Amino acid sequence: MFASESGTGLASSGQYAARAEAAVKIYGSGDTAVHALRGVDVGFERGKFTAIMGPSGSGKSTLMHCMAGLDRLSGGETYIGDTAVSSLNDKQLTILRREGVGFIFQAYNLVPTLTARENITLPMDLGKGTADDAWVDEVIEAVGLADRATHRPNELSGGQQQRVAVARALASRPQIVFGDEPTGNLDSKTSAEILEFMGQAVEQLNQTIVMVTHDPRSASYADRVLFLADGKIVHELSNPTADLVYDTIRSLGDDD
Amino acid sequence: MFKLVRRSIVANLGRLVLTLLSVVLGVSAVSGSFVLADSLRSVFDQISEDALAGTDAQVRPIPSEIADAFSSAAAPSFDESLTTELAALPEVARAEGQVAVFERIYTLDADGEIVRPPGPPVFANSFSGAEGVGGFRVVEGTAPGDQQVALDQAQATQGGFEIGDTIDVSMATGDIEQFELSGIIDFGDGGTGGAFFILMDLPTIQRATGTEGTINFVDLGAADDVSPEELVAAVSPSLPEGLEAVPQEVLIEESQENFGQIIDFIGYVLLGFALVILFVSIFIIYNTFAILVGQRTRMLGLLRSIGASASQIRGMVLIESVLIGLIASITGLFGGLGIAWLLKAAFNSFGNAFPDGPLQLQPRTIAIVFAVGLGVTVISALIPAFRAAKVAPLEAVRGGGLQQRSLTFRVLGGSLVLAVGLLLLFLGLSGQIESTANIFVALGFGAALIFIGVTMLSALFAGVVASVIGRPVQALKGTTGRLARDNASRNPQRTSATATALMIGLALITGVAVLASSIVDNFNDVLEDAFGADLIVGPTGQPLPFSATLVDELAALDEVDVISAYQFLQLGVDGEGVDARAWDSDTGTTIFNMGLAEGSLDLGSDGIAVLDETAAEMGLSVGDSLTVEFSDGELVELAIKGLYDNSAAVDGVSYLVDRELANQHVEGDAVGAIGVTLTGQPATDSPEFAAAEEAIEAAAASQPQVDVLSNAELREELSASINQLQALILLLLGLCVIIAAVGIVNTLSLSVLERTREIGLLRAVGTTRSQLRTTIRWEAVIVSLFGSILGVVMGVALGWAVVTAIPDEFLSYVSIPWAQIAIYLVAGGIVGVLAAIFPGYRAANLNVLDAIAYE
Ligand SMILES: Nc1ncnc2c1ncn2[C@@H]1O[C@H](COP(=O)(O)OP(=O)(O)O)[C@@H](O)[C@H]1O
Ligand SMILES: [Mg+2]
Repeated sequence: MFASESGTGLASSGQYAARAEAAVKIYGSGDTAVHALRGVDVGFERGKFTAIMGPSGSGKSTLMHCMAGLDRLSGGETYIGDTAVSSLNDKQLTILRREGVGFIFQAYNLVPTLTARENITLPMDLGKGTADDAWVDEVIEAVGLADRATHRPNELSGGQQQRVAVARALASRPQIVFGDEPTGNLDSKTSAEILEFMGQAVEQLNQTIVMVTHDPRSASYADRVLFLADGKIVHELSNPTADLVYDTIRSLGDDD
Repeated sequence: MFKLVRRSIVANLGRLVLTLLSVVLGVSAVSGSFVLADSLRSVFDQISEDALAGTDAQVRPIPSEIADAFSSAAAPSFDESLTTELAALPEVARAEGQVAVFERIYTLDADGEIVRPPGPPVFANSFSGAEGVGGFRVVEGTAPGDQQVALDQAQATQGGFEIGDTIDVSMATGDIEQFELSGIIDFGDGGTGGAFFILMDLPTIQRATGTEGTINFVDLGAADDVSPEELVAAVSPSLPEGLEAVPQEVLIEESQENFGQIIDFIGYVLLGFALVILFVSIFIIYNTFAILVGQRTRMLGLLRSIGASASQIRGMVLIESVLIGLIASITGLFGGLGIAWLLKAAFNSFGNAFPDGPLQLQPRTIAIVFAVGLGVTVISALIPAFRAAKVAPLEAVRGGGLQQRSLTFRVLGGSLVLAVGLLLLFLGLSGQIESTANIFVALGFGAALIFIGVTMLSALFAGVVASVIGRPVQALKGTTGRLARDNASRNPQRTSATATALMIGLALITGVAVLASSIVDNFNDVLEDAFGADLIVGPTGQPLPFSATLVDELAALDEVDVISAYQFLQLGVDGEGVDARAWDSDTGTTIFNMGLAEGSLDLGSDGIAVLDETAAEMGLSVGDSLTVEFSDGELVELAIKGLYDNSAAVDGVSYLVDRELANQHVEGDAVGAIGVTLTGQPATDSPEFAAAEEAIEAAAASQPQVDVLSNAELREELSASINQLQALILLLLGLCVIIAAVGIVNTLSLSVLERTREIGLLRAVGTTRSQLRTTIRWEAVIVSLFGSILGVVMGVALGWAVVTAIPDEFLSYVSIPWAQIAIYLVAGGIVGVLAAIFPGYRAANLNVLDAIAYE
């Protein structure tokens, strides 16, 4: 799908693109305190596609947000590459989000006044450097938006909008891309196309992707599935199939 | 339903506070102008009563139709022997002959400068020391005796005078003499309305005015058990022709009316500004409600889908506006008291200008404030309320913004409103309307409709124009500039509504600037030609008369070649009082370029010259005779000897007679200006010229109210005084700009709220806080510049229309002050920068995740 592998120039100083060590997140305090993360240790290997699953309220989004520098931990530490996220101030966090991390939300990923292409290059445009046009073109081509590049979000379908979001997350060649149910709002066909594309980005470009999903079939696109429950990682699968994931969820659910 | 309203107000409190602020400012201004005028009126009514408390009746010359209450020309007088005759009557307990002059006698400070208040006048009165007569009371020292004066405290303080000091006094006769300060006097209950008083005993003031043996009126005290009316009846038969006796009650009424005119004027001016402010705030309220309704579309749709009727929805929005109107009215009422108090304090800081007295909050003011506060808010909310009622139940599911009204409606409605506005403006300027009040109403409504029309139409091009203005911003600022530009142009209707307040403010400011600059430039041109004189000797600023003795003194100087003077004069023509001038017509044409249109301007003792236009209006031509009434009541038939077409040198008056003729009928010699040419015609930059100027200045030193100016200096003085007036107006209109800024803060805050999710997203993908602030700042600047540019264009157009409508002999061409306009545009941009501070701060400090999750 990608014509060249020019996008593999990731600084690969370590085995992990991102890590969490004893990550704790507590919302509120006293009686009403919610322990969203209760000491999570996890590493995301470079060039791997990881899916995170778990019942609603288990802390999946919290983990993504804290790792991506969108929120701060109550205890423990997360790293992007070798950078300890908790040590960064707001400005540094912003730069990290701009250059080191890509994030795909479930919806509302795009700035309505900008065209698809402008949305894709936005993180780079916000920085001092200039976007690598050839590479951006390639990404746009790859996500199948070549004829839609100058359209604004309200002229794009939900699937197309999510493709733009994925393209934006990839275009700046970040160390890691997080997606919080990136296909959660899409029909299965569209969602399959996007997951296919994400899988290719991991394989061909050695991109690292972590994605939260509820759907066992979506999870089967990943190299590894982590199961979260009540703020802890409770299980892990490698090279999952949809059935395997489904069965695991069932068996984990039975534990309750 | 009411619960929903309350919830909605509580939920939107932050946004409503700013809206409230704009209404409150407008309402406060209205209430303040009424409170101030009422307070002043009550105080001055009291002053009038105090001043006349000891006067049961007064004998005075029957006021002529042609004399003005505060005329600079000397008041008519009569022989003082009448006082003794009146005193002999049994009904009269006390008779005091009095002299009162206006702006002819001054005290001088150590530097020889006149001691006077900046605005109010200086009166000189006779004072016998009798408590209460004339309203004066000695508070310290004694009443003035021979060669003594008593002054009010403010004047003594300003001049640095202490009781017992010897003070130089410039007298109406043109001489300066030394007087001893005998005491400090107070007027009424304290406070002189800002005026200065110089009191002397009767013989002294008669000498100081050169009116020995005559008086201006007699104050009478009634004997026991004699009412003022009975006193008048008793006195009247013995009065010589031309005099009348007036009872206390009438005197008080007249005095109150005189003050009332000035106070009404102040009140109307303030009210005018208040209405402008109110008008501007209407747009802000409208805009806020429109945005709030728009943002609540989903909620309104939900309400509709669960059974709320359209009228319930409409009622909900309207009740909300009523509540806001109520809060604004109450706050504005007190705000008005504050404004009145501030204005009073500001005036008082110029020296005891307004006497002390409680602020008057009359029921009428309260009623008006509530009517205005409620009216403005509810009317502004009407359109949004009706639009809210049109929200379909499905909108709850669809989300999406409000249905925009059709383009056709905007174009047609906007054009119609604009056309009616232009028509009214044209009518107001055409001179077809008789009464001044109606002209102002036509101009006011015309301008208001034009602003509304332009606002409606401007939504059509706001997007495009904002995008054009944003282009350099994008080039300069890159992505943040791009986002700012997009945000400013994405909702043209909002951009135009937001910019409207600033547009109106700047349109008015620019209009005034165009008018002022046209006046200055035209008058400069006219004045340049108006005088053939090398030097003009006269008072600058106010037209204060001075003694004719200076004319003779200057004429005696070797340096002076030709000299001519003109004198203030009031004439009755066709039974109406008109301003006129008397001049030395034999030398006058050398000194004053009157632009002889026909005949001759050498008038002699039986001639009169008329401004050609006035003559044309009245159907007069050279050779006709014209009967005029002098202020002594005498009717004189004069021959029209000449017509002139340039009245700039004589303050724009329409009638000229010779000074000799005038002096046969008018006492005193109130000269307005003297012009001289210098012997040997030295160049203005030559040492001879400077020496001559010095000699003339030395001679004029006896009359401290007089300056010696060259033509160029005279023109500078004039420009300075017009610029000062413009600055004052600018200050008042500046309030509009502040309100406009509040409006921009308001809309921008609402827009930021509306775009919370988008802002969260921008932050999530790497926009720094400062980049976000930059984006919002430039968005505000683009919107402000849109309003400013529109305002400046309209201001130039309005100024042009007004100047063009003014007859050519006053203003013949339009002069546009480009440099000033450029400054206004920059200032408009700065308003945007300032307005963006708060919304920018809010946006930058949003929590990223909360923002993304925001519904
Ligand atoms: N901002 C917040 N304030 C308080 N509690 C929160 C907040 N965000 C999430 N939580 C709580 O933390 C827990 C984990 O939430 P989340 O990470 O969103 O779960 P998931 O994404 O797995 O559904 C939940 O119990 C949720 O209610
Ligand atoms: Mg979640």
